[in-house]
Amino acid sequence: MAAEQSSEQSSDRSSAPGVRIRGLSVVYRTGAGELPAVSGIDLDLPPGTITGVVGESGSGKSTLALSLLNAVQPPGRIAAGSVEIDGLGDVAALHGDGLRRARGRHIGYVFQAAQNSLNPLKTVGGQLLDLGRSHGMGRSHGPDDLRGLVREARGLLDRMGLDGARVLDSYQHELSGGMRQRVGIMLALVLNARVVVLDEPTTALDMITQATILRIIREVHEERGLTTLVITHDLGVVAEVADNLAVMYGGRLVEQGPTGEVLGDPRHPYTRGLLAAIPRLAGDIGEARALPGRPPTLDSVPADGCVFRERCALRMEVCETGRVPVVSWGSRTAVCHAVQGAREDVKQTVTAGTVTAGTAIADMGEEQA
Amino acid sequence: MALHRSRARAVAWRLAGHLARGFVMILVVTTISFLIIRNVPGNPLAARYEKLVEQGMAPDAAARAVEVLYGFMPQGSLWDQYVGYMSGLARFDLGESLMVPGSPVSDVLLSATKWTVLPVLAGTLLSFLVGVVMGVYAAIKRSGVLGDMLAISGSLLHGVPQYVLALLLGAIFTTLIPILPAGGTADILYEPGFDAAYIGSLIEHATLPVLTYALAGYGGWILAMKSSVVTVLGDDFILAAELRGMKRSIIFRYVARNAILPLFTILALSLGLLFGGSIFIERIFNYPGLGLMLIDSINNRDYALMGGAFLLITVAIIVANIVADLLYTVIDPRVRGEGETA
Repeated sequence: MAAEQSSEQSSDRSSAPGVRIRGLSVVYRTGAGELPAVSGIDLDLPPGTITGVVGESGSGKSTLALSLLNAVQPPGRIAAGSVEIDGLGDVAALHGDGLRRARGRHIGYVFQAAQNSLNPLKTVGGQLLDLGRSHGMGRSHGPDDLRGLVREARGLLDRMGLDGARVLDSYQHELSGGMRQRVGIMLALVLNARVVVLDEPTTALDMITQATILRIIREVHEERGLTTLVITHDLGVVAEVADNLAVMYGGRLVEQGPTGEVLGDPRHPYTRGLLAAIPRLAGDIGEARALPGRPPTLDSVPADGCVFRERCALRMEVCETGRVPVVSWGSRTAVCHAVQGAREDVKQTVTAGTVTAGTAIADMGEEQA
Repeated sequence: MALHRSRARAVAWRLAGHLARGFVMILVVTTISFLIIRNVPGNPLAARYEKLVEQGMAPDAAARAVEVLYGFMPQGSLWDQYVGYMSGLARFDLGESLMVPGSPVSDVLLSATKWTVLPVLAGTLLSFLVGVVMGVYAAIKRSGVLGDMLAISGSLLHGVPQYVLALLLGAIFTTLIPILPAGGTADILYEPGFDAAYIGSLIEHATLPVLTYALAGYGGWILAMKSSVVTVLGDDFILAAELRGMKRSIIFRYVARNAILPLFTILALSLGLLFGGSIFIERIFNYPGLGLMLIDSINNRDYALMGGAFLLITVAIIVANIVADLLYTVIDPRVRGEGETA
């Protein structure tokens, strides 16, 4: 099994599965009726790339991540749209045992390190075997494929700089945050899933461990030929690992494109605001400006017009109602009237501080890449 | 980092610590109960002696008569009695009962113990099993009508005092539908022994007490299990297991094992209370267990028997505490390697 997997890997390395999200909307049932958490998302994860989704808490990024596994928790549900994964089909249309098997085998999900994603009463190895049995290993196929699974897991853990045999023999409480995160990555990949979703992979880890985890994500991504989605609120994480960047606000994608381009030349006022809010190591702390106002919550997202207008410096009359145009140029898109109306003008009205902050991030991103 | 090897060592260390602490606790409790019992107003021997004197008997003759009746006359200071009592305890000698003259306290205790421990144990285990299963069901179906009804049944039964349940069950099954005996341990017709008729009669008589214990405990178990399962269902690792495509049956096992953990402690502790008996239920069903015996011993100022009963209850609770803790060490890996976290 393990040998089969690795040979499969080397031959398929170039042909990682692509993911196409179209018109995805997720609603939550509340006392005030069904409210949208995510609406009208169109997003491509090109094969073999890392896509970063950034947004504040409540922007709908975690809901988007769960939608990739059709795992939005009640009272939420996918109200419209599709999530097409090469070799699997529309995940949003899967259900029952088919959906269960797709999770883990086709799509791996890595939890935030601070979350306890392991059963505290079982060793990592015990849970690994449960995972294998859940996916048809053991009894019917003989114990050999389970042995292969353990070998594969140990290999992955060793690869990530851990003592694989020892970790498999450990309980969750015996592992540090960084070790747990690597165990999470191992469990997401051990069944040879090629699409991987990482939800806040570095939150709650110390700086050194964050750097290690990001390096591991990048390396494992390359080695195994994955298509990866990283959900984060940390622009630094995206700058470091992501090829493409999508910015979410109020349940919508407001801007996307190649990471370097978006960070170096942000067009949407929200993206600009995010970048302007980052304090820089060299320079006056006063240069970092927080975005005024608060992000919308489920029940305060405007149903009509632009979701960002309440906090936007460029707010115009046209933003109040109707659909906001999706402006595309090259490999980039932004959803904003200001970008559509006067793209060049907007660029010129940006204050000097914003541009320098943005450039600093973009430089960092390129250095890492 | 605790590996499997250290499990046995951890258990052994904890056991040693507990035994030492338990020993000290027993010492303290026996001393306190000794002092309390001796200071309870009234003295049966003195009372009997005075009664005989009042009836016109000569003082020495009265003293002799009392001594013949009870086997001894307490003499010496409180301290001498204490030393005598404790040295007797060290030899597992609890002294002789005044209430049942001539029989050692340990015999009296033992005969009462079986009438308490067996029904309470049966009732507790029955309510635990049913309550836990129903609690899981109530948690899973918590947004449905059936789940609500189960939870409400738990709250109701939990709120009704044991003796009300006992009277209610007694009224239903001995008066309204007279299918069960109202009291006692077995029909007097049958000779105690290992024959079907006697054992059948035993079970028949034990049904109502056991049912009372079971119903009284059930509410607590179902409510505790329900809330425990709901908590575990909200834990991240359950969602994580789901997102890894784990089978429902495996996830169910994860939930059940994690949810039942805190209940095992309560179970072990409640088994310690077995020996306290239930005064009300034994009275209502006229069941000669420890509760009834304790009442009788208090009414009769039977110091030795009271002391023995208190000692038994103390030891049982301490042992149950130790068992609960050791059980935790065995079933919860997080408790095993205390202080050795990574």
